[in-house]
Amino acid sequence: MEDKSNDMKHIQNTAINYSELFDDFRHPQSGAVVLFSGEVRDNNKGRAVTHLEYEAYEPMANKMISEILEEAKSRFNLNQAACVHRVGRVEISGCAVVVITGSGHRKEAYDANRYIIDRVKNEVPIWKHEFFTDGTSEWGQNCDCVSNDHHHHQHHHNYERAE
Amino acid sequence: MNRKIVCFAGLKKFFGDETSVEVAPEESYAGLLEKLAELNPDAKEVLTSCRIAVNEKFVPLNETINDQTTLFLIPPSSGG
Repeated sequence: MEDKSNDMKHIQNTAINYSELFDDFRHPQSGAVVLFSGEVRDNNKGRAVTHLEYEAYEPMANKMISEILEEAKSRFNLNQAACVHRVGRVEISGCAVVVITGSGHRKEAYDANRYIIDRVKNEVPIWKHEFFTDGTSEWGQNCDCVSNDHHHHQHHHNYERAE
Repeated sequence: MNRKIVCFAGLKKFFGDETSVEVAPEESYAGLLEKLAELNPDAKEVLTSCRIAVNEKFVPLNETINDQTTLFLIPPSSGG
Protein backbone atom coordinates (compact mmCIF):
# COMPACT_ATOMS: atom_id res chain seq x y z
CA MET A 1 0.00 0.00 0.00
CA GLU A 2 1.21 3.45 -0.84
CA ASP A 3 2.02 5.53 2.20
CA LYS A 4 0.31 8.87 1.91
CA SER A 5 -0.13 9.43 5.62
CA ASN A 6 1.64 12.79 5.52
CA ASP A 7 -0.42 14.02 2.62
CA MET A 8 -3.53 15.85 3.85
CA LYS A 9 -5.46 15.05 0.71
CA HIS A 10 -8.79 14.14 2.34
CA ILE A 11 -9.25 17.43 4.18
CA GLN A 12 -9.41 20.68 2.27
CA ASN A 13 -10.04 24.30 3.24
CA THR A 14 -10.84 25.47 -0.30
CA ALA A 15 -13.77 24.67 -2.61
CA ILE A 16 -13.98 21.03 -3.69
CA ASN A 17 -13.89 20.72 -7.47
CA TYR A 18 -15.71 17.43 -7.81
CA SER A 19 -15.94 17.65 -11.60
CA GLU A 20 -12.16 17.58 -11.70
CA LEU A 21 -11.98 14.71 -9.24
CA PHE A 22 -14.54 12.83 -11.32
CA ASP A 23 -12.59 13.40 -14.54
CA ASP A 24 -9.54 11.89 -12.89
CA PHE A 25 -11.50 8.83 -11.93
CA ARG A 26 -11.45 6.84 -15.14
CA HIS A 27 -10.29 3.25 -14.79
CA PRO A 28 -10.31 0.64 -17.55
CA GLN A 29 -11.84 -1.96 -15.24
CA SER A 30 -14.57 0.32 -13.88
CA GLY A 31 -17.97 -0.06 -15.50
CA ALA A 32 -19.58 1.99 -12.72
CA VAL A 33 -18.50 5.22 -11.06
CA VAL A 34 -20.69 6.78 -8.35
CA LEU A 35 -20.24 10.31 -7.06
CA PHE A 36 -21.93 11.57 -3.90
CA SER A 37 -21.74 15.24 -3.02
CA GLY A 38 -22.94 16.32 0.43
CA GLU A 39 -24.12 19.91 -0.02
CA VAL A 40 -25.17 22.67 2.32
CA ARG A 41 -28.96 23.11 2.66
CA ASP A 42 -30.53 26.46 3.39
CA ASN A 43 -32.54 24.94 6.23
CA ASN A 44 -32.23 22.43 9.04
CA LYS A 45 -34.98 21.23 11.38
CA GLY A 46 -37.21 24.08 10.30
CA ARG A 47 -34.62 26.82 10.76
CA ALA A 48 -33.17 28.94 7.97
CA VAL A 49 -29.43 28.42 7.60
CA THR A 50 -27.07 31.08 6.24
CA HIS A 51 -23.89 28.96 5.94
CA LEU A 52 -21.87 26.27 7.69
CA GLU A 53 -18.38 26.13 9.07
CA TYR A 54 -16.57 22.83 9.45
CA GLU A 55 -13.82 22.08 11.90
CA ALA A 56 -11.72 18.91 11.99
CA TYR A 57 -8.97 17.32 13.99
CA GLU A 58 -7.22 17.33 10.66
CA PRO A 59 -4.37 14.80 10.90
CA MET A 60 -6.60 12.22 12.55
CA ALA A 61 -9.55 12.88 10.22
CA ASN A 62 -7.29 12.55 7.20
CA LYS A 63 -5.84 9.30 8.47
CA MET A 64 -9.24 7.84 9.34
CA ILE A 65 -10.72 8.70 5.93
CA SER A 66 -7.70 7.09 4.29
CA GLU A 67 -8.24 3.91 6.35
CA ILE A 68 -11.99 3.86 5.62
CA LEU A 69 -11.27 4.12 1.88
CA GLU A 70 -8.75 1.28 2.00
CA GLU A 71 -11.17 -0.90 3.91
CA ALA A 72 -14.00 -0.10 1.48
CA LYS A 73 -11.79 -0.89 -1.51
CA SER A 74 -11.05 -4.39 -0.29
CA ARG A 75 -14.52 -5.07 1.15
CA PHE A 76 -16.38 -4.03 -2.02
CA ASN A 77 -13.71 -4.91 -4.55
CA LEU A 78 -13.41 -1.33 -5.81
CA ASN A 79 -10.92 -0.19 -8.39
CA GLN A 80 -10.83 3.29 -6.89
CA ALA A 81 -12.26 5.27 -4.00
CA ALA A 82 -11.87 8.92 -3.09
CA CYS A 83 -13.22 11.16 -0.35
CA VAL A 84 -12.55 14.83 0.38
CA HIS A 85 -14.16 16.78 3.23
CA ARG A 86 -14.19 20.54 3.61
CA VAL A 87 -13.07 22.54 6.61
CA GLY A 88 -13.84 26.24 6.98
CA ARG A 89 -16.83 28.17 5.69
CA VAL A 90 -19.13 26.54 3.12
CA GLU A 91 -21.98 28.52 1.57
CA ILE A 92 -25.47 27.26 0.67
CA SER A 93 -25.24 24.68 -2.17
CA GLY A 94 -21.52 24.39 -1.60
CA CYS A 95 -19.97 20.94 -1.50
CA ALA A 96 -19.08 19.90 2.05
CA VAL A 97 -17.95 16.37 1.26
CA VAL A 98 -17.51 14.28 -1.84
CA VAL A 99 -17.22 10.48 -2.15
CA ILE A 100 -16.42 8.78 -5.45
CA THR A 101 -16.32 5.02 -5.93
CA GLY A 102 -15.50 2.99 -9.03
CA SER A 103 -16.01 -0.73 -9.56
CA GLY A 104 -16.68 -3.26 -12.28
CA HIS A 105 -20.43 -3.17 -11.70
CA ARG A 106 -22.84 -0.67 -10.14
CA LYS A 107 -23.90 -2.56 -7.02
CA GLU A 108 -20.46 -2.44 -5.44
CA ALA A 109 -19.92 1.21 -6.39
CA TYR A 110 -23.27 2.26 -4.87
CA ASP A 111 -22.93 0.12 -1.75
CA ALA A 112 -19.35 1.20 -1.11
CA ASN A 113 -20.21 4.86 -1.61
CA ARG A 114 -22.94 4.67 1.02
CA TYR A 115 -20.67 2.72 3.36
CA ILE A 116 -17.92 5.34 3.08
CA ILE A 117 -20.13 8.42 3.61
CA ASP A 118 -21.93 6.80 6.56
CA ARG A 119 -18.67 5.96 8.30
CA VAL A 120 -17.15 9.37 7.57
CA LYS A 121 -20.20 11.12 9.05
CA ASN A 122 -20.42 8.89 12.10
CA GLU A 123 -16.82 8.27 13.06
CA VAL A 124 -14.40 10.83 11.70
CA PRO A 125 -13.56 13.82 13.94
CA ILE A 126 -15.17 16.53 11.83
CA TRP A 127 -17.77 18.96 13.17
CA LYS A 128 -20.39 21.13 11.58
CA HIS A 129 -21.17 24.58 12.96
CA GLU A 130 -24.51 25.81 11.61
CA PHE A 131 -25.23 29.52 11.37
CA PHE A 132 -28.87 30.63 11.25
CA THR A 133 -30.56 33.70 9.81
CA ASP A 134 -31.58 34.83 13.31
CA GLY A 135 -27.91 35.32 14.16
CA THR A 136 -27.54 32.25 16.39
CA SER A 137 -25.36 29.24 15.70
CA GLU A 138 -25.24 25.65 16.80
CA TRP A 139 -22.77 22.78 16.67
CA GLY A 140 -24.32 19.94 14.71
CA GLN A 141 -24.97 16.36 15.68
CA ASN A 142 -25.07 13.35 13.38
CA CYS A 143 -26.18 9.90 14.07
CA ASP A 144 -28.19 7.93 11.59
CA CYS A 145 -27.08 4.63 13.09
CA VAL A 146 -26.64 2.86 9.77
CA SER A 147 -23.05 1.74 9.88
CA ASN A 148 -22.31 -1.51 11.65
CA ASP A 149 -19.44 -0.41 13.78
CA HIS A 150 -19.85 3.26 14.46
CA HIS A 151 -19.44 4.37 18.02
CA HIS A 152 -22.83 5.03 19.44
CA HIS A 153 -23.29 8.16 21.42
CA GLN A 154 -26.17 9.76 23.18
CA HIS A 155 -28.29 11.77 20.82
CA HIS A 156 -30.05 15.10 20.88
CA HIS A 157 -27.45 17.20 22.56
CA ASN A 158 -28.10 20.85 22.34
CA TYR A 159 -24.87 22.66 21.59
CA GLU A 160 -26.61 25.89 20.96
CA ARG A 161 -24.83 29.02 21.93
CA ALA A 162 -25.71 32.63 21.60
CA GLU A 163 -22.96 34.39 19.69
CA MET B 1 0.76 15.36 36.81
CA ASN B 2 -0.76 18.14 34.76
CA ARG B 3 -2.01 16.98 31.38
CA LYS B 4 -2.73 19.15 28.37
CA ILE B 5 -6.11 18.56 26.73
CA VAL B 6 -7.00 19.93 23.29
CA CYS B 7 -10.70 20.62 22.70
CA PHE B 8 -12.77 20.83 19.52
CA ALA B 9 -16.06 22.22 18.27
CA GLY B 10 -18.77 22.68 20.93
CA LEU B 11 -16.35 21.84 23.75
CA LYS B 12 -14.45 25.08 23.22
CA LYS B 13 -17.18 27.16 24.80
CA PHE B 14 -16.63 25.23 28.04
CA PHE B 15 -12.87 24.76 28.07
CA GLY B 16 -11.37 26.99 25.36
CA ASP B 17 -9.06 25.61 22.66
CA GLU B 18 -7.10 23.76 25.29
CA THR B 19 -7.08 23.20 28.99
CA SER B 20 -5.03 21.25 31.49
CA VAL B 21 -6.08 18.99 34.32
CA GLU B 22 -4.20 17.49 37.21
CA VAL B 23 -4.22 13.73 36.72
CA ALA B 24 -3.67 11.38 39.65
CA PRO B 25 -1.55 8.21 39.22
CA GLU B 26 -3.73 5.28 38.03
CA GLU B 27 -6.39 7.73 36.81
CA SER B 28 -8.45 6.39 33.89
CA TYR B 29 -9.56 8.37 30.86
CA ALA B 30 -13.14 8.05 32.14
CA GLY B 31 -11.97 9.51 35.46
CA LEU B 32 -10.49 12.43 33.59
CA LEU B 33 -13.83 13.07 31.85
CA GLU B 34 -15.55 13.05 35.25
CA LYS B 35 -13.01 15.51 36.55
CA LEU B 36 -13.68 17.82 33.61
CA ALA B 37 -17.43 17.58 34.30
CA GLU B 38 -16.78 18.62 37.90
CA LEU B 39 -14.78 21.60 36.68
CA ASN B 40 -17.61 22.65 34.38
CA PRO B 41 -20.97 21.05 35.22
CA ASP B 42 -22.57 22.62 32.12
CA ALA B 43 -20.30 20.42 30.00
CA LYS B 44 -21.36 17.20 31.72
CA GLU B 45 -23.87 16.09 29.11
CA VAL B 46 -21.55 16.49 26.13
CA LEU B 47 -18.66 14.93 28.03
CA THR B 48 -20.64 11.71 28.45
CA SER B 49 -20.58 11.28 24.67
CA CYS B 50 -16.97 12.34 24.05
CA ARG B 51 -14.14 10.10 22.99
CA ILE B 52 -10.48 10.70 23.76
CA ALA B 53 -7.71 10.39 21.19
CA VAL B 54 -4.03 9.93 21.92
CA ASN B 55 -1.46 9.87 19.13
CA GLU B 56 -4.33 10.11 16.61
CA LYS B 57 -6.03 6.97 17.91
CA PHE B 58 -9.11 6.57 20.10
CA VAL B 59 -8.33 5.06 23.49
CA PRO B 60 -10.66 2.83 25.58
CA LEU B 61 -11.98 5.11 28.31
CA ASN B 62 -11.59 2.50 31.04
CA GLU B 63 -7.82 2.37 30.48
CA THR B 64 -5.34 4.04 32.78
CA ILE B 65 -3.78 7.19 31.41
CA ASN B 66 -0.22 6.06 30.83
CA ASP B 67 0.81 8.13 27.89
CA GLN B 68 2.67 11.38 28.44
CA THR B 69 1.50 13.16 25.30
CA THR B 70 -1.37 15.58 24.74
CA LEU B 71 -4.92 14.27 25.00
CA PHE B 72 -7.50 15.24 22.38
CA LEU B 73 -11.10 15.45 23.51
CA ILE B 74 -13.36 14.41 20.63
CA PRO B 75 -17.07 15.31 20.76
CA PRO B 76 -19.54 13.31 18.60
CA SER B 77 -18.83 13.67 14.90
CA SER B 78 -21.08 15.88 12.81
CA GLY B 79 -19.36 15.99 9.44
CA GLY B 80 -20.96 15.54 6.04
